[in-house]
Amino acid sequence: MRVLVVEDNEELAQLLAQGLNAEGYQADLLTTVAEARAVVTTVRYAALILDLGLPDGDGLSILREIRQRKDPMPVLVLTARGGVDDRVSGLRGGADDYLVKPFALEELVARLEALLRRPGQLLGRSLHVANLAFDTESRQAFIDDKPQVLSAREIAVLELLMRRKDHVVSKKLVEDHIFGLSGEVASNAIEVYVHRLRKQLSERGAKVQIHTIRGVGYLIAEEKVA
Amino acid sequence: VISFKSIFSRIIFLHVIVVVIAAILMPLGLYWFLKSAASDLQHQVMREQADLVANYLVLRPTGSWELELPPVLQALYSRAYGRYAFAVLAADGKVMFSSLKDQSPVFSEDAHAADAAFLHTRKGDAVMSGVSLPKAADGRTVWIQVGEDMANRDVIVDDIVADFFKRVGWITLPILLFLLAIDIVIFRRALRPLVDASEMAQKINPKRTDVRLSSKKIPNEILPLVQAINQALDRLEAGFRVQREFTADAAHELRTPLTILRSRIDALADRGTSKALHQDIEGMARIVSQLLDIAELETLSIDPAEKADVRAICCEVAEFAAPLALAQGKSIALSGTDDPVWLNGNAEMLSRAIRNLVENAINHSPPGTTVEIVVEESGMVHVLDQGPGIKDDERELIFQRFWRRDRRRSGSAGLGLSIVQRIADAHAAIVSVENRPSGGAKFSLSFARTT
Repeated sequence: MRVLVVEDNEELAQLLAQGLNAEGYQADLLTTVAEARAVVTTVRYAALILDLGLPDGDGLSILREIRQRKDPMPVLVLTARGGVDDRVSGLRGGADDYLVKPFALEELVARLEALLRRPGQLLGRSLHVANLAFDTESRQAFIDDKPQVLSAREIAVLELLMRRKDHVVSKKLVEDHIFGLSGEVASNAIEVYVHRLRKQLSERGAKVQIHTIRGVGYLIAEEKVA
Repeated sequence: VISFKSIFSRIIFLHVIVVVIAAILMPLGLYWFLKSAASDLQHQVMREQADLVANYLVLRPTGSWELELPPVLQALYSRAYGRYAFAVLAADGKVMFSSLKDQSPVFSEDAHAADAAFLHTRKGDAVMSGVSLPKAADGRTVWIQVGEDMANRDVIVDDIVADFFKRVGWITLPILLFLLAIDIVIFRRALRPLVDASEMAQKINPKRTDVRLSSKKIPNEILPLVQAINQALDRLEAGFRVQREFTADAAHELRTPLTILRSRIDALADRGTSKALHQDIEGMARIVSQLLDIAELETLSIDPAEKADVRAICCEVAEFAAPLALAQGKSIALSGTDDPVWLNGNAEMLSRAIRNLVENAINHSPPGTTVEIVVEESGMVHVLDQGPGIKDDERELIFQRFWRRDRRRSGSAGLGLSIVQRIADAHAAIVSVENRPSGGAKFSLSFARTT
């Protein structure tokens, strides 16, 4: 999969390219706003990794142009400024996600994958946590490649958690997702589903753990071997 | 020395003094002028009367003086009328003619002046005021004295002078007071633009460096001051901008090399070394972020209109910190009210403060424990851990910059709690810490809730 990296620091750009290549991406490197502007209109990339501080201008200007053309290409913004103004203007300017330097290459790859797995994007349909897999198209869970039978609501909860693995999914989001806007939700309904799902997964040998962050939400992660 | 803080009261004070002096001097001055005008008039009348008498004084060829007054003049000088008197004196002072009963002179003092002399004398009950006029004929000189009894002065002149205060003098006071009142109104209007400019100037703070004083309606005398202030503000704003830009530039310059370093470490074959180096980088990155936070906080002031839901912020912080806690075998929980807790503040800054408290708590907790965030409806936020707690003698120290309990521990510059303190100060909130009875520390932030 081809991604475009616009980063003016050549050393960092090279390292990013190497890291992305190791993960199976093909990264093209550019260093200026002018070059990037010319290339994004002619070449179709799966995603754009854009540094905001470029020698001939602000990376945000390219971003705005891309969005004005209604180009849905996912854009991951790299910024050295962690200030809230910069983040807000980046996201308002049409960025799908941002990473504040210094970031780990792993984090970059993970975020990129998350962007590419969004509906309408190019990356595969399969989500993985340890030996647990989930096919977003057939909505089927697998443990050690063996298909599992789960209830529709358990599936819905699992998909939500796996789409944001290693991140907290708020209880409110789960509620909205499962019950929609209709009807009253019993206060412990979500807990019941999560509890049931947790039990099912552990009984069937999935090496994952669903953590309850009390008062906040849930998080799925690889099981830690003590 | 009386000193006034206000130009207005200074002007009014000086003005009142001037009015008081004028109120005293003006009637006195007018009285004096009136009196001297009346006196001049009397002198002139006396002189004319003396001339008239002189006309009827004739030197006979025999060498004797003769005075034949017409009946009108005789009546004027009659003792029955009693108002005027005349006498004619020879060079030796001998009285030749006199209207007075004992043939005495009108004025007994020096009667030998070369020209008309005005005299004033007390004669029994009467106060005589008049003139002594020399008349020369054939080498011989006589002096004609004409006097008026001041007790019977001309009625009109007398009344005008005597009644001056009663009838005219008082009017100066209301006029002066009226002027004073009008001047107060004028001063107020004249000072209005200055008061407006001062109010504008009060709105200036590090967050609102764009305010400029209006030079509209500012008097020419003050205009250079207003312009100088505006120019100073231009430079100040430029200074703030430079500082903010420096912050952004410094961030860029430090963070990009850190990212490169991190990527190189990721590529190392030796996983053990790579992991250790990773932690170092993590620590350095955190210090850079905190230093930049501190630089940013120097100019932080909270817009009174800015509102933030501290319960939602705590929820976000918990979501953000949960993977961190879980990675270290610890957990995090949020409790307290489920309703939004609105207060006046900057959401990003509040989030940084609470994040610092939570990260601290996670770092100081033993594995298997839970860091608890409690949000109270009253606007209190508590962060509880089950770590070693805070020693009594360290309770103040921990909020100081670069303080660390364990100097050997890397990856911490001891900035976290000083950032919390600074953000709390900017929000007029109080940070406190106590040890829990069950062990561990309890950090509390208490905010004033907005209604």
